[in-house]
Order: sequence, then C-alpha cells, then structure tokens
Amino acid sequence: MRFLLLIALVGCTAPPGREPVVLRIALWGPLGELAPTATEPGLASVAQPWVYDRLVTIDASGNLKPVLAASIERVSNQQMRIELRLDATFSDGAPVTESDVVRSLESAGLSAVPGEGALVVESRQPGLPIDALLLQAHIFRESHGRNLGSGPFAVTLQSESELRLTRRSPRPGRVNEIRLIAYKTPRDAFAHTLKGDANLIFDIEPRSLEFFRDVPSLQVFHGAGRSTDAIIFNPAVSRADRRQLAEALSSPQLRELAYGAGECAEPGAAPRNDVSLNSGPVLRILSWGTFERLALAARRILARRGGEIVHVTPQEALSRIASGAFDVVTGRPLRWPPSSMALVWRTGGPYNIFGYSNPTFDDAVDRADWAAAEAALANDPPAAFLCTHDQLAVVDARIMNPKLGPYDTLETLPEWEVAR
Amino acid sequence: MTRRRIALLLTALVAASGVLPLLLLAMFGLQILRQRGERASQEALHAIATQAAARIGTYIAQQREMLRTIGTAVADEADAARRLADVSLDAPSLGKLRLVSAETPARELPRMLSAAQIASALRANEVASETYIAELSPAMDVCVPSGKPGRAVCATLDLLELQRQVQRIRVGEQGYALAFDRTGRLVAAGSGAMRAAVLSGEPVAESPLASGLVKGTPAPTRLRSGDGRDVLAGWASLADLGWSIAVEQPAEEALRGARTALKFLASGAVLTLLISIAIGSAFARRMLTALELEERFRTAGRIAAGVTHDLGHRLTILQQIEQLAAMNDADYLPRIRESLAAEVATLRRFVADFSDLTREAKPADFLPIELNAFAESVRLGAQGYAKEANVAVEVERAPSDLWVRGDRYLLERAALNLTRNAIEASKPGSAVRLRIERSNGAAVLAVEDRGPGIAPDRIATLFESFSSTKRTGVHLGMGLPNVRRIAVAHGGTVSVKSKPGQGSTFSLSLPVNGDQSSSPLTPATMP
Repeated sequence: MRFLLLIALVGCTAPPGREPVVLRIALWGPLGELAPTATEPGLASVAQPWVYDRLVTIDASGNLKPVLAASIERVSNQQMRIELRLDATFSDGAPVTESDVVRSLESAGLSAVPGEGALVVESRQPGLPIDALLLQAHIFRESHGRNLGSGPFAVTLQSESELRLTRRSPRPGRVNEIRLIAYKTPRDAFAHTLKGDANLIFDIEPRSLEFFRDVPSLQVFHGAGRSTDAIIFNPAVSRADRRQLAEALSSPQLRELAYGAGECAEPGAAPRNDVSLNSGPVLRILSWGTFERLALAARRILARRGGEIVHVTPQEALSRIASGAFDVVTGRPLRWPPSSMALVWRTGGPYNIFGYSNPTFDDAVDRADWAAAEAALANDPPAAFLCTHDQLAVVDARIMNPKLGPYDTLETLPEWEVAR
Repeated sequence: MTRRRIALLLTALVAASGVLPLLLLAMFGLQILRQRGERASQEALHAIATQAAARIGTYIAQQREMLRTIGTAVADEADAARRLADVSLDAPSLGKLRLVSAETPARELPRMLSAAQIASALRANEVASETYIAELSPAMDVCVPSGKPGRAVCATLDLLELQRQVQRIRVGEQGYALAFDRTGRLVAAGSGAMRAAVLSGEPVAESPLASGLVKGTPAPTRLRSGDGRDVLAGWASLADLGWSIAVEQPAEEALRGARTALKFLASGAVLTLLISIAIGSAFARRMLTALELEERFRTAGRIAAGVTHDLGHRLTILQQIEQLAAMNDADYLPRIRESLAAEVATLRRFVADFSDLTREAKPADFLPIELNAFAESVRLGAQGYAKEANVAVEVERAPSDLWVRGDRYLLERAALNLTRNAIEASKPGSAVRLRIERSNGAAVLAVEDRGPGIAPDRIATLFESFSSTKRTGVHLGMGLPNVRRIAVAHGGTVSVKSKPGQGSTFSLSLPVNGDQSSSPLTPATMP
C-alpha cells in the first residue's frame, strides 16, 4: 500500500519546471518613456508594438493586415473604411471602444468619423498616404495618467534604465516577460550581452557580429532592412547634376569601397566605366555617425568634385541640413514600405528635412502609384541610394523562430517560440 | 565451510594472485599514458600559441610597415591630409590617418598616446599606445616618422582582424586562443564567454599570468580558466609588443583519448577478472567435488575399519559368551547375564555415537539455555558413569546466570562426551570439574581433569574424525569431531589445553545470549 501511495505521490508531482525565458534587451542611449505617440523620442519606443496595437499592420509583401480592425476597405489613397473588432480590451480589462480609436487616430494625424457600423478614417495631412499614417497610429486610452494599450504586454516597471513588460495572459512556450535595459554605450551593451546580463541585442553593424560568433548561448538572426544608405543631395543642386551624381555614386565600386563585398541587398552589377562627372562645383560632404567610410568612398568616386568631408554629430548634421548648409550629406532614409517614401520625399512630408520637392512624385504618391513614384525619384533624384543592409540581431539560443520586421524591428517577438 | 565458499575463496585467491597484478600494471600504464597525453596536449597547445603569436606579430609588423611606407610616400605631398584620409578605404585596418606636428590641436592628436610619446614621435621615433577598444574593436594608436623633421604620420590600427585571427584558432571542439596586452588586458578572445572582458577591460583569471609571462614568470600549463573550466594551456609571448598568447583547451576534451583508453582497458581488466573468477570457480568446484568424493571413500573406509575392529571385538566377546552359554552350566548364568548386559550397553553407546552424527543443529530451533543449570544437568547425566569409575564430578558455577542459545540435546551430548572423556582419563578417587565462566565475551563450559594429559603431537589432530587412539573397542573416534561440529553449528568453538601428567581442560565456548532471566523457558520451566 505504501508503495502504491509513493507511486501515486511521485506520479502526481509535477516535474521540475524550467526557468522561464525572460528576454533582456540591451539598448544603448536614453530609454525615454514608452508612449503610444512618437512625441518623445527614446529607445523605449521599441516596445510600442507589444503594448499598443494598431488598427492595421503590414506584411512582408507590403499589404495591410488587420489587427484591431475587423475589416479594411480602401476608399481612396487618403481614406479608408474600417470596421473594429469587438473583443479587444485594454490592459486594465476595459473594452476598446470606438471613441478610444477615434481619439488615438486623431493624435496620429488622422481623422475618424463613425458611421454605418464602421469608421471612415482619413488623412488630415494633405498628400500623406493614409497607409503610412495608419502604421504609425497606436490605439490607446488614458487612465490615471497612464496610456494603456491593448497589446499582449503591459508595462509593469519603468525606470531611467529599465522598462519591464509582462504578458497580460501568460502563454506557455512563449516569452512572457521582456526587459529593455539601457546601457550608456554600445560597448557596454555588447559586453553585458556577452556576459549574459542581456540576451537580445539588435541594430548591430555587420563587423560587430564578430563578437557574437561561436557564443553557444546566443544566435544571430537577420531580416530585410527598411532603410537604405544614401548620399542625399541639396535640392539646390541642379536636377541634371543630381542625376549625373546619382548615376556615378550608385556604383558597385562605391559599394565595394564603403562596405566590402556582399554587404548590401542591392544586386551587384558590372562596374560601369562610362559614367563620368562633368565639371561642376566641388561638393562638401557632410557626414555623421557611422558614415565616415561612406563619405570617404563617395569623395573618391566624386573625384575632382569631391570636396572636404565634414564629420559632425547627428544634431549638428540636422542643424546644417535644416539651414541648407551642405552640398551632399550621408543618410539612411526609409525605403520600405513604399508608402513610407511619401513621409521622406513628398513635398512637406514629416521627414522631408532636406526640402526636396517633386510634383511628379507627389502626384504618384497621391495616386498610391508606388512604381510611378519610384520612377519620379529616379528621374529627379533626391539622393543616390547605395546600400540596403540586412538588419542584424543576436538573441538567446533558446528562441526557436526569431524574426526581424517586416515593419517594426521586433514586432513579431510576442509570437516567438521558446524551446521547451 | 561449504564447498561453494571454499570454491569462491580459491577463485578469489587465484584472481588476486593472477589478475590483480595485471590490473595494477594496467592502471600504472594508463596513468603514464594519461600524463604523457597531457604533456603532449600541452606541447601541441604551446606550438599553436607560438604559431599564433608569430602570425599576430607579423600582422602588426605589416600594418606598421604599411603605415611607415604610406607616411614616407605621402607626407611631402601638398594634399597629404586628404590622401592619408583616403588610405583607410584601401587599408581598412588603418584608420584616422593624419599628419601630426607641434601645431596640431590637442583634440586631433591620437587619444591614447601621451604627450611624451607624441613629442618622441615628432623626434622621428616610432611610438605605439597600449591596445584599447575603439568603436567595438580593439585598436592601437601608432605614430611613425614622416621623413620630415617635426612631423609624424599617425593612425589608429584597427585590430578587428586580430580579433578574427584569434577567433579562428580552434583546438578540438572547445579549444580557443586568447591574446593579452602587456598589462594583462584581454584584447582578443576565441572563447565567447570571455569576449565580454575584451569589451569591458575587466581582468580575467589568466590576466596576471599573461602579464607575468611578459616579465619572465612562466605561466602554468594547467589552470582554471576565466570561464571557470579546468583547462590545459600553451603560452607564447610577443617580446616586441609585450603581448602574450594563450591557447587553452578544456582538460576534459584534451584528455578524452587517454580517458577513453583508460575506460576501455579498465573494462577489459574487469571483464577478464570476472571471466577468470567464473572459470576458476567452476574448476575449483569440480576439483572440490572430486576431492570430497575421494574423502568420502576414505572416510567410509576408516569408518568400516573402525566398525570392523570394534564390532569384531564385540563379536569375539559375544562368541565367548555363546561358548560359555553352550556349556549349559547354571553357575555361569550370572556371568553370562552380566557380560551380555555390558555388551548391550556398549553396542547401545555405539549406536548413540552414530545417532549423534545424524542430528543437525538448526538455529531456528535453538532455545535459551542457562549454562550453570545446564552444567548441573550434565553432572547428573554423567553421575552413573562417574560412580562406576569412582570419579567425582563437580560444578563450579559462574557468579551470575550465563545464557546461551542452542539445541539442548546436542549441547548436552557434546558436554557429556567431554565429561565422560575426562572421567575416563581420571584416576579413581580424583575429580572432574565443570567450570562455567564468561571469557572474552563468550560463555564457556570448561571440563577439567587431572589425568595423564595429552601428548602435544596429538593435540593438533585431536578434533579430526577417527583420530581416537583409545581403540578400546568402545570408541569410533567420532566423539571430539562431533563436539567440534556441534560447537561450530552453535557459532562457538571447542579448544583444549593439556600438560602431560597434569591433566587436560576442554573448553566449549558459545556466544552469550544476554540476560534471559525473564524468559519463560528457564530450566525450571523446561520439560
């Protein structure tokens, strides 16, 4: 009898559980405060897609997918008719209501009018496609001074150096706790990741991957980049000159010089020797951040026209760009999804800090004709688009299906599976 | 001792004398093998470290040579600054190339070179900083003469390639290389777990060993590494740079070959031992069976001889009685009756001796027996015999009750046997003493006589079967062997002390069974 009781006891005792995987994400720079709107820049915005749902997101092919929306119907490039899901709730349990959605959309530069069981959503910023604005609109509700979201995670702790998020309804085999840890420098972030204090780090330059090779507890993964390294021209430079410069600079030779072989997603092309730069003014090259080498390579390609390289801080670069005090400047403008081009290059677009204006491009954007928009940019180039890098990240080896993108870098994290 | 136990004992002796020395020899050989394996691994690691050091030294020397060449070629040109800056496009390991002179603003000087080093560089000396981490890769600031007085060409050597080289060094599955600078700072690590120290600059376990090596202190070839594992290590140093290279391999992996051989040979030895035990056991048992059979025949012969002798003697007497009876003389009737009674008594004892041999002691049937009372019982049992021999039997009791467990009948047979022997050996008018005592934790019944004693050469075989020398026609020579059999069956012993002319003492020792005074089976209550 005692034996039977022992067997029953052993049989009923749960096996010792494994330590749940907590993702500790190493970041460098100020963490800032997590907010549904992009009013306060900071690294905490990485957590936006886990805490705040959008009405729609985008798949790898660039098509909109409903999230909080039950259905989407495009009325025009500026207008959509969206039915809401009825089952969504905020992290305090309150249902997501139509008025919460309207208020959230309005704070993202959209207007939403209820009618016939759906919302008619429209861009309030003329010329900006509704797709691009919807992708930036997170749905939230203010409660006791906090902005609550309806995403799978909720903030449980926020300090100057750490943001802790917990899954609202824990799921077996998934990550249920995330911590964003802000370090002062990339070196600190790398060192702490190698030491095991953090187990996810992203936005890594290819050359820095060396440090993570053959570390058994970590794995490297990557995803398609959304931005392209570019040499952006001052719009004051003539169109003809910009075309010539763009053609000369968009060469495999420059890519090879600046990045080495195989670093860019752009297809390799046979070197062109027929591109020669006509005489023209010497161009000062404004450079910042990690673009030092790109600036040197551009100057070599520009040959006689390559002028002084001025390497400055990002803030100084922004200031010089705003005042037009540059001939060409290194940068990494958004290239995907196609609608995001409007944000950067449309006349008056929110990220169009360069003052570029191209009516043909604007018209194509208004028609949501992205191929025509691309062609318009090629015809009157604002920049020489050079190299699209893969996004690189390193994560705990126990994560089975890590993935970057397609829109927000870590947006699929809530679905990552953990090895049991 | 059973045949099986004897067989096992024999086998163990054979195994111990044959296989164990071989086993010890094998262990000794394997220990040597392991030591040599460790030494060979350490030598191999040292060779790899030396090669790596040479390669790293060459790489650094090439970079500096390239810088010198560029500096000399470009420094005089009008657009020297731009051309120097462009160099890093073609030579990615040379960064931030610039001309440095006394007029160069402090913010544009190489940040890891001291003012004294810069001054030395401007005096046409080559200077280099210690390594540091710049933009996530190890780096070193170097200035070389430009060929013009008061000007030097300076650059930051990007040592990422060095990191790559070190990471590419693999020994086995888990072996790796580490590079340390003069101060013991880890500048490149093949072990992922230790790479954090490259970035943080924190010392690792090997750091003091590395800086010691540069100063001439030999570094150990077996140590606990920075990631906490027991490793074998090979060391090499770069005298020019003051760097040291360690190539480490976890001892477990490095000695896996020797350990596998050890396990294999140990398994083989154990297997051999088991096989030899199995074979030895089988042979020993067969031999013992044959010996036992032979011994049985021999015993049967000896019994037959004894029986023939004794019964023959009895037959002779019975024939004489028969002849006496045939005379039909009434006067002989009393004598005939007495003789027949005596012969019947003798034959009865004869049969009783045989009967004792057939009774086995079964521990399950043992009962508590108080030895003082038991001795009294024996005395009474021997009283008739003693009276005939005109010998007194006395009991000397122990100061307190002394309990044993046993088969009362068998113990009584054994005690009576010893007592009768003592009576037979005693002169008429003397006494036999039954002494009860506790000695060395055992309960002892000693039977003492004052007879002629036993010759010393007889004592050794006294308890062997059919060794009686009395041969009076009433002894089979089974008495004392049977006493010993009974004693052993009770977990006890029987021994003898004798001095010729002074008498003998036979001691029957039995395990004490504690205080049984409360037992219901005290002699008073026993049937």
